[in-house]
Amino acid sequence: MMGRSPLKPGRGWLSLAFWIVASLITLFPIYWMFVVSAKSRVELFGAPNFIIRSFFVENYTATLSNPTFQRYMLNSIIVATSNALLVTTLALLATYALSRYRLVGKENIFFWTITNRMAPPAVFLLPLFLLFTQTFTIGSFSLYDTRIGLVLLYCVFNLPFAIWTLRGIIDAIPRELDEQAMVDGCNTWQVLTGVIFPLAKPGLAVTAILTWVFAWNEYLFAATLTSVNARTITTGLAEFVTVTGTNWGQMAATATLTLVPALVFLGLVQQHIVAGLTFGAVKE
Amino acid sequence: MRSQTTGWLLLAPTLVILLVFGLGPFIYVLVVGFTNWNSFAADPTAHFAGVQNFRRLVFDDPFLHSLWLTFGFTFFAVLSEIVLGYFLAQLLMRDLPFKGFFRTIHTLPLMVAPIAVGATWRLLTVPGLGPLPYYLDRWLGIDLRIGTFADQAFIATVIMDVWHWTPLVTLTLLAAISSLPKEPFEQAQIDGANRAQVFWYVTLPLLKPAILATVFIRVMDALRTVDEVWMLTGGGPAAATRYVGLHIWRVVFPKTDYGYGAAMSLLTLYVTIVLCWLMYVALVARRELPRSE
Amino acid sequence: MKLRTTVSAVALAIGLMSSAMPAWADFWSDAAKDLKGTTIRGVTESTPPSNYVKDVLAPAFTKATGIKVEFETTSWDQMFDKEIKDMEAKTGLYDVVYIEQDIIYSYLARGFLVDLTKSMADNAKLKAPEFDPANFTTFIDYFKDPTKGNDLFAVPMESFIKTYLYRKDLFGDAEVQKAFKAKYGYDLAPPKDHKQYTDIAEFFTQWGKSHDMQLWGSTVQAHTGHPASWYEFVESVEPTFGVYNWGINAQKNYAASVKNGGSMNGPQAVAALTWFLNNLKYAPPESTQSTWDEIAATFAAGRAAQGLVYGENAAWIATNDSKSKVVGKVGVALPPLEPGVLEDAESGKGYIGYFDGGAFAIPTSSKNKEAALLFLEFIGQPSVQADWAVAGSRITLKSTYDDPKVKAQDEKTDHYYTLMKEKGKLFAGAPTYPFHAQVREAVAPIFYRAITGELTPQQALDKMADAAEAELTQLGYRK
Repeated sequence: MMGRSPLKPGRGWLSLAFWIVASLITLFPIYWMFVVSAKSRVELFGAPNFIIRSFFVENYTATLSNPTFQRYMLNSIIVATSNALLVTTLALLATYALSRYRLVGKENIFFWTITNRMAPPAVFLLPLFLLFTQTFTIGSFSLYDTRIGLVLLYCVFNLPFAIWTLRGIIDAIPRELDEQAMVDGCNTWQVLTGVIFPLAKPGLAVTAILTWVFAWNEYLFAATLTSVNARTITTGLAEFVTVTGTNWGQMAATATLTLVPALVFLGLVQQHIVAGLTFGAVKE
Repeated sequence: MRSQTTGWLLLAPTLVILLVFGLGPFIYVLVVGFTNWNSFAADPTAHFAGVQNFRRLVFDDPFLHSLWLTFGFTFFAVLSEIVLGYFLAQLLMRDLPFKGFFRTIHTLPLMVAPIAVGATWRLLTVPGLGPLPYYLDRWLGIDLRIGTFADQAFIATVIMDVWHWTPLVTLTLLAAISSLPKEPFEQAQIDGANRAQVFWYVTLPLLKPAILATVFIRVMDALRTVDEVWMLTGGGPAAATRYVGLHIWRVVFPKTDYGYGAAMSLLTLYVTIVLCWLMYVALVARRELPRSE
Repeated sequence: MKLRTTVSAVALAIGLMSSAMPAWADFWSDAAKDLKGTTIRGVTESTPPSNYVKDVLAPAFTKATGIKVEFETTSWDQMFDKEIKDMEAKTGLYDVVYIEQDIIYSYLARGFLVDLTKSMADNAKLKAPEFDPANFTTFIDYFKDPTKGNDLFAVPMESFIKTYLYRKDLFGDAEVQKAFKAKYGYDLAPPKDHKQYTDIAEFFTQWGKSHDMQLWGSTVQAHTGHPASWYEFVESVEPTFGVYNWGINAQKNYAASVKNGGSMNGPQAVAALTWFLNNLKYAPPESTQSTWDEIAATFAAGRAAQGLVYGENAAWIATNDSKSKVVGKVGVALPPLEPGVLEDAESGKGYIGYFDGGAFAIPTSSKNKEAALLFLEFIGQPSVQADWAVAGSRITLKSTYDDPKVKAQDEKTDHYYTLMKEKGKLFAGAPTYPFHAQVREAVAPIFYRAITGELTPQQALDKMADAAEAELTQLGYRK
């Protein structure tokens, strides 16, 4: 296909130059965030300076030495990862059902799933708050301020996303492959794990990355539905980053620190995209 | 033959979660939308108000303006993201030294929480501190003050959104492109199609479901943007970037006008659903529906 | 030295209370005997005074009583949203909530808060000898409900006045003084009225330009998407023009417009808004993105010669050299006033600016009211105030002014604390409206349009008065 034509030598340099420029543009705001995190407030006044002369560590030590920060970070990692795993698994099952089975009204169900992501979130916080604090309570336990509560809630906007991204990918897998497997005596579970899963891997990896990102970055629900124990790092960020906040240094330092687990996760999952890419892009 | 029961079983966990945490709250909001309820009104309890909220909405200029503005924002942002994202995804399919490295860099903006994205862009654009006003003034003589000039603020929110979300488009399209079958392309080559023809008649139709799903996700996320814009401009100057998500947020939170806020949400949701349904029916379902019945 | 003051203050408090009370050291553990092991949960904004409560006072309280304290610190908006949801739904999540002075009337109207005076009277065992509302500054009066016999509903934890700050170094510079006198015909000094303020603002903006300095004449809290700008106008500018209580007349059926008996769009209000907007000409370019914190940062960066700045920021601007470039160069004075306003304020008819602050209260939905009550009394003791005052530049007790640590701070801040102590009574908190946020949200978006120049001051104020009346009718306050 057009993207896979062999490179001419001159164009290689051109595209390399393009990517370097594009990367600089992409990195610019993040680098500026890092610059702000490395300076004291007084150093920031005056003409903008991109060079970090003396690293103002107080911004980082203030955040890192805060015991709640570590807990917030851990909560975020647990919530985002559990949510990504749960959503990707459930979405694979659901998409496979929608793609391969004759279910009454399935196109309507498919469309309905996505409407769950469309609602402006503000007003839904009130019923969710009641649901978490009053409906789902067993004795002294309630979903409020628990990680499991957030994991389940994030499914509401992540499942529709995952189902919609995976639909095209599952549909594109030739039906003959899994029908053949069924003829060979595989049950549904074996077809899913043995045939569909390997073929859909790049799509699943991308879906997992993005659901993880959505869960990792979510602020409004976490802020309202957690209090002390299950608070995530974005709500911790908001303690510095209020609309009226000028605690720029600590805010930027915290934001920079939250990038680290995200990068680790990205690195782990991207290998699967790469694997998927080489699978898809059979060299001529 | 595949059993329907198995199909429903596979679908069940998804449906249960969505019904409890999606439909449940929706019904609550639906009921509240027909009441007059403000925690700090002279009478703070909720009263059934019929369609009064919706009647008010139709003449509510700030709300309608906000809705219109949101469509503009969504149109410019999503269009740029799709074009740019597709372009970058295609480029990433080519041979390139350090490809993984560039791809990782290009994914980085996604990893920054929206609330931090807004804060970062504010640090970039605040006069007296941020580099953008400083260098734009020095090099191009542009007076960048997004707190004062409505157009600048609007453009700034669009650029911020494009910076933040283009990687999502690139990643999903990358996944889609990489799982395309290669036979149609070989066939096209044999038939002597040129690049434009291959793009229009082979690549685009095959990618349509993926592009559409991406457009959908981006459209609905852009329509309910709150955190980033709230951090960057607070909806200002005046109402220039007071997008509907933010507008509703201000009505429901600080103003505690739950009944009216719920009505706004329902109307916005309804408009969004209609918009997406039209796109969906026009582009995808027409081909798919017969097969499924 | 500090220990002695503390001990004597405690001794005095004990003496004033009752000699029948148990000894000081035993009170907390005695009172909490049956409450040991319970956990109380509070919510507050993430600010230095609140963090001091969370990090220092709460553990000390736990040590003294065996009652655990968990504090959720969050952003300003989130805090209100969550505590209102909790109290509205009667969930009982929080035992201690932070209340900013301006929202207390909304909470009182809803009966959200526990009557502290009554609780202490009903439960003598829980009445700490060191806690006495009479120890507090007049700021505590804002947390009493006049309809309930002036009972106390919250314990103040911070208070500030929004005052006039200026650059002492610039105002004292001989060359500057000469140039100013030559141009305006009078001596350069902190302005007495608005005309002088504008002269000074214009002068320093010119001075900045001609000397190639990043200097402007005035800070203006003029964010075009955040209510901070509207707050500066109604709390700090309008009163100095003689417009009080936002121009809403509670006696005349909550009228806002002049035609109905209000003053929101009256001539003084128009003059005030015209003056406020005119200052933008002499303000640094970031002003239209500035809330209360950013104007403090602007002043700390040395970018403005004068301005109205919240007192909570005055201390760090004047003393903290990792955050401020103008350490030791900050002067404090009363804001500029129109003739007659000072007399109004002194006779109690009006006020000259904003007395800001917050307090802790107990929601009626709380499940641990007794433990929470002990905690509020604990943080209201005189003995814990001084370090807290230094950490958060806040004062709520009269005795704290005389603490040596606070006095030392007072010297460094051009006697901000003395000004607050002596002139605090001229300032006032927000009007006693139970619809504070509702009317703010209705009129602020119109106010932003005046800042961008889309509306003239008269047009904007007319629309604001109409919007306020419409909102009050909708809410059912205006019949």
